[in-house]
Amino acid sequence: MFGEMIRQKSFGVSLAVFLVLLLAPSFLPRFYIYLLAVIFVTALLAMSLNLCVGHGMLFQFHHGVFYGVGAYTAGLLLAKTSIPWWMAFVAGPLAAAFAGLLIGLFCIRLNKLYFGMLQISLGSLIWAIAFRWYGLTGGDDGIHGIPIPDFIASTTGSYYFVLIVLGICLFLMYLILKSPFGSTLQAIRDNPERCAAVGIHVRHHQLKTIVIATFFGGVAGVLFVVVEGSIFPDLLFWVLSLEIFIMCLLGGWFTFAGPILGAAIIVSLRTFVGTYTEYWTLILGVILILLIFFLPEGIMGYNYRQLFRSRTKYAHDSQME
Amino acid sequence: MEGGQTITLAALSITLLVGLSRAMILFIVTSGLSFVLGVLRVPNVAHGSLYMIGAFAAYSISALFGSGSVGFWLALIFSPLVVALISLIAERSLFCHLYEREHLMLLLFTFALMLILGDLTKIVWGADYRSIMPPSLLQGFVTIFDSPFPKYNLFLLIIGPLVAIGLWLFSTKTKMGKIARAAAVDMEMVGAIGINVSWVFAFAFVLGCLLAGLGGALVSPTISVTLGMDHDIIIEAFLIVTIGGLGNMWGALVGSLIFGITQSFGVLLWPQFAIVFPYLAVVIILTLKPTGLLKSVW
Amino acid sequence: MLRVEDLHKSFDDFKAVNGAHLTVESGQLVAVIGPNGAGKTTLFNLITGQLQPGRGRILLNDEDISKLPPHVICRKGIARSFQIANVFPRLSVFRNVQVSVLSQQKLSNKLFRPASQIAIEETGRILESVGLVDKKMDLAGSLSHGDKRILEIAIALGNEPELLILDEPTAGMSPDETATTMALIQRLAADQGLTILFCEHDMEVVFGTAQSIMVMQQGGTIVQGDPQTVRHNTEVQEAYLGDE
Repeated sequence: MFGEMIRQKSFGVSLAVFLVLLLAPSFLPRFYIYLLAVIFVTALLAMSLNLCVGHGMLFQFHHGVFYGVGAYTAGLLLAKTSIPWWMAFVAGPLAAAFAGLLIGLFCIRLNKLYFGMLQISLGSLIWAIAFRWYGLTGGDDGIHGIPIPDFIASTTGSYYFVLIVLGICLFLMYLILKSPFGSTLQAIRDNPERCAAVGIHVRHHQLKTIVIATFFGGVAGVLFVVVEGSIFPDLLFWVLSLEIFIMCLLGGWFTFAGPILGAAIIVSLRTFVGTYTEYWTLILGVILILLIFFLPEGIMGYNYRQLFRSRTKYAHDSQME
Repeated sequence: MEGGQTITLAALSITLLVGLSRAMILFIVTSGLSFVLGVLRVPNVAHGSLYMIGAFAAYSISALFGSGSVGFWLALIFSPLVVALISLIAERSLFCHLYEREHLMLLLFTFALMLILGDLTKIVWGADYRSIMPPSLLQGFVTIFDSPFPKYNLFLLIIGPLVAIGLWLFSTKTKMGKIARAAAVDMEMVGAIGINVSWVFAFAFVLGCLLAGLGGALVSPTISVTLGMDHDIIIEAFLIVTIGGLGNMWGALVGSLIFGITQSFGVLLWPQFAIVFPYLAVVIILTLKPTGLLKSVW
Repeated sequence: MLRVEDLHKSFDDFKAVNGAHLTVESGQLVAVIGPNGAGKTTLFNLITGQLQPGRGRILLNDEDISKLPPHVICRKGIARSFQIANVFPRLSVFRNVQVSVLSQQKLSNKLFRPASQIAIEETGRILESVGLVDKKMDLAGSLSHGDKRILEIAIALGNEPELLILDEPTAGMSPDETATTMALIQRLAADQGLTILFCEHDMEVVFGTAQSIMVMQQGGTIVQGDPQTVRHNTEVQEAYLGDE
């Protein structure tokens, strides 16, 4: 399996990119290191969402909740208790996965679009609680200055930590998507009725996917705390969830690495556009409309179809279809 | 938490009535959402934005005519029309080209519309709070059980059922209403007998948005009109149509009543976290009946 | 093996299935025929669990399966293909079949072993038996209509069924493809000892291959018997064959 992986072109490219990123802090100014770290965190978040959306066709419209739950759990534990940092870091994703399971149990019984609708509403309850429970969560101010262990507190330190965790998570996601679990998930995406007819318990499988995806979302939340050192309710607000969704669409939601590209583009755009105008939401909406009308499979999806136009008959099992 | 002794019959009755009047607004708004859901099979995420624009437009129209009683009544009439116009423009220019695509694309469009309308509202009206005075006829209180009850809420308690009856008459007695109901059940058949499906969709969408605008206009004297109203209302509306039964107008009524009343009692019992009560009701209902209390339209 | 007793299913006021009876013996090739709208697909959907009956029973080896969901019925030994080509369009032909093989071997939930190394032999064998091996890397969505129908059958075979239910397996096929497909079905039945239940429009196909034919009209069963009996049944002639 590793032999197969190494022989692919994309592996070589990824390795090269990884090496460049490893060396980046030695030649990039601090702001760009920070920005890259934010992109990494967001990329992980988008990748975790895409497990549900692109590979499972589950309309997880409020994935941000689990990001926020992961961040808040880790952040609160670090700020308010004396639990060792690694325990707080592990508690985050676990709490997120648990929330994912609970909310998933309710939403899974509705079909498709309504799954997403209900998730937005239920997830907003968590936002409302975080927003109002000033005593625990700092309300809409959030909590700042969360103690992060020294070796990862600096810009460079957090950069490397995030990069390594991202790398591990991407590797794990790759394995999962290549496994029978992932294959079955993609079959459910394409045709859930058929899957039931071949003996697959569709709802169970989807729930498991949600738990996995929300776990990784929680990891992203912990990484956010490492990079920013603070938590605030915006993490739980569903417009952020929408933004992540757009990242997946933009990059290419039926591809493996599309969400990473989408995250990089949106985060960069948001950062640079933000210096000119405060109407980022409007621009985001326009981007979404352009995507819907002109690029529904995202950038990488479009590329695949262009490059392989003469060979679309052949499935590329080496790439994620 | 209030002590048991201070919850009198009067307080309970007022709470119930306040909950009912809030439920009327919720019903007007969610009936529009339900209608669109039933005919187009898509939850219109921008529904909340149109509600918000209805409220802001009511403020502007009212201010245009002197901010007095006349201004209010004119705002009540014209604000929903403004909203309807906006929705018609959005529908005919962009939305209708997506009708042949999968439902996900339609839904994503409504998301984009929400994002865009939200910022457009900010551009046009800025980020400040607005407020509208109710007309002099409806200012002040009546006394019920020795307790004050806002006259405006009484007005809402009358308007709500009127709208409900109007909608019922429309959908059962008028030709357009019957076509819309038929389209909700079987779109292909409606197309097959020669009715222009695209116009049915347009009509349903605009009517739904008009109701949202009406709800926004009606609610404007009771709350501060601000950005973020769109998010708040759409979350509640989604919950209401889900517990009521997707696409079912009466379900929207039942859901609104449950939501409005539990919320009102929540404010009485635990003001800081009043929001928890309606959510609790939703969780209980969905655990027992995952697809909603009333039958879904399809 | 399979017995359907007085089955009823209504959608609001429309009686889609209205007193259907069916008996399928082990090892047989049984066909259900009837005009469009007679209720054949609804009957099949009731048997395999996509729909729940209003009244009546469905017995598989004397066990009542009327109210079970599709994935449970599948585990009991029934596999089916669908009338409208129901494959996994974005997956390759190989992976299409592999999905059901994995499900059958209860490996669908394995998380960390690559799927490309599991269940290769079984999947390959099935592809060979239906003649799709040379197309195994093609995207299922790009196959010809006839090939998609055959892929349908291949996916169903992945479940190692005792009873294979085929909903209009030759719908939309040319006469050549129809003949090939029916020959394939008969060969599969013989080689693997499958019991096959299918429904069809094409009379020649049915009378040439089925050992027992059940005739449906307006949701109910007119008669079931061997081809000769059915051909000479007056009700059947009036209702159905008379128009041929």
